[in-house]
Amino acid sequence: MTLSNCLILACMLFFVGIYGVMTRRNLIGVLMSVELMLNAANINFIAFAYFKAADSVAGSIFVIMIISVAACEMAVGLAIIVTMYRKHKEMDISRLGGLQDE
Amino acid sequence: MNFLYPDMLILILAIGVLAVDLILPQDEESNAPFLMSWLGLASIAVILITQTPPPGDYMVGFGTYTINGISTIMKLLFTLACLFSILLSKSYFTAGGNLRGKMNRHSEFMALMIFCTFGMYTVASAGDMISLFVGIELSTIPLYILSSFYKDDRSSTEAAIKYIVMGSVSTAIGLFGFSFIYGAVGYVGFEDITNFVVNNPRDPFIWIGFILILSSLGFKLGLAPFHMWAPDVYQGAPTPVTTFLSVGSKSVAVTALMLLIYGPLSAIHQETNTLLIVLACLSMVIGNLGAMRQKELRRFMAYSSIAQAGYILVGFLGKGEFAQSSIIFYLFVFMFTNVCTFFIFSIIGQKRTESFSSLRGLSKEKPMLAALLMMCMFSLAGIPPFAGFTGKFILFASAAKEGYYWMVLVGALNSTVSLYYYLLIIKEAYINKPDENQPPLHLNTLQKINLSILGTGVVLIGLIPIFYNRVSELVNLS
Repeated sequence: MTLSNCLILACMLFFVGIYGVMTRRNLIGVLMSVELMLNAANINFIAFAYFKAADSVAGSIFVIMIISVAACEMAVGLAIIVTMYRKHKEMDISRLGGLQDE
Repeated sequence: MNFLYPDMLILILAIGVLAVDLILPQDEESNAPFLMSWLGLASIAVILITQTPPPGDYMVGFGTYTINGISTIMKLLFTLACLFSILLSKSYFTAGGNLRGKMNRHSEFMALMIFCTFGMYTVASAGDMISLFVGIELSTIPLYILSSFYKDDRSSTEAAIKYIVMGSVSTAIGLFGFSFIYGAVGYVGFEDITNFVVNNPRDPFIWIGFILILSSLGFKLGLAPFHMWAPDVYQGAPTPVTTFLSVGSKSVAVTALMLLIYGPLSAIHQETNTLLIVLACLSMVIGNLGAMRQKELRRFMAYSSIAQAGYILVGFLGKGEFAQSSIIFYLFVFMFTNVCTFFIFSIIGQKRTESFSSLRGLSKEKPMLAALLMMCMFSLAGIPPFAGFTGKFILFASAAKEGYYWMVLVGALNSTVSLYYYLLIIKEAYINKPDENQPPLHLNTLQKINLSILGTGVVLIGLIPIFYNRVSELVNLS
């Protein structure tokens, strides 16, 4: 396994994530796609830290930071989705049309 | 050590405001959290005003946290933005304070605002990519929660969902960018990156990283191709949150961009300008075109702030201390003007919908309020003698100094176009016939005091050179 293999994997994950965010209708699916994108960045960091970087500890710390921040973000996201579901019984992103330009 | 007091105090204040709710008996009408947060923020602002940091960078924690002139002045801006948003939010927690209903849990609301401000402090003081990333996240995650604070209101939840989806996508894009810069340099500290970029200005990883980070910050800043979330979130979120979002979140993105462009990436400033020019032109044009056909006040302000972000980017074309102080000064002007405008909108929103038609006959009903609104609109459009004119003048001067005369021309033309829609608001307030069925407006003492402070700021900041001199003195220190 080389650095370029890892980078290609990370890029693929990233684009799968972007594709998911754009095409998924279900809000949970959208959040999962975002998580994929964040993990692509994680793989990049770890790959660079392992193969290339002079300061490999910094990359590992960055990954731990990303994981914890992503957890916070997803917790907030799920809480907002639960509120939406409780009040309006809806999880479909294409129904979110209340706020729009006339 | 004493340069760290504001940062420590704001963290203690945030935890304290949360704790007050636990210690005191459960009482929704209690004033304690409100008093505590605004007194605390005001005293932190006083500390920041009186404090002058030592020349150069004062490093804490192996250079992860830096305190210098720029970070001190930016912290003052963030504190003031938070302070005024909290003062604005007061009436939203009393019954009949707003047409959309009464908000609950005010201690949590205020604590979240202050936590968010602490995140902004971290961005201003960031010395490496890790603290920059954590700071940006800490300043946006509370805003996701805050924008859904009207739990029963469908539009508020919808705004929060749109914001969190767009926000987390932008975070992921930015992180991907950070990872490439880390890959190229091998270190996360800004000093190491600076040295690397000086030696390898054409490294592809640096460029991929920079472009990804720029698009991520563009989301936060509301720049044109990435602005889709802004109008919806501004409209759906509660007005105090919109105020904080428009001023605080925007300033954070500008700070982060300033940190990168005048720090690690200053060696490739000439090349990065090309990207900034495209973004600036697009933002100005799309913001102005969008604002023209709006009927809802907060949505209108969203497009207006997209255009304002474009003007701020024009300032980034300049180099060195002059450009930085012009950008920071403009952020102060923008803060005072925007907060003042939102204060007026919140008073209108007490009993009426926040739309253009609710402004009708304002000059007959509340002449002072209408005059203040006119001042703010002229300041946003950049008409002398108000602060907006001075701010824009210095911004464009910083671009002109580097020979970007045609960008100045584009900026000036766009501000002329923007005058059209700012005048539409003034027309509603002054010329259109009042609607007899509208419920009357009431101002309480708190609102009167705040409006007079903000109004004085809008006029005086541009006229008295003390403010600009202080900003440029602090910027020159670092």
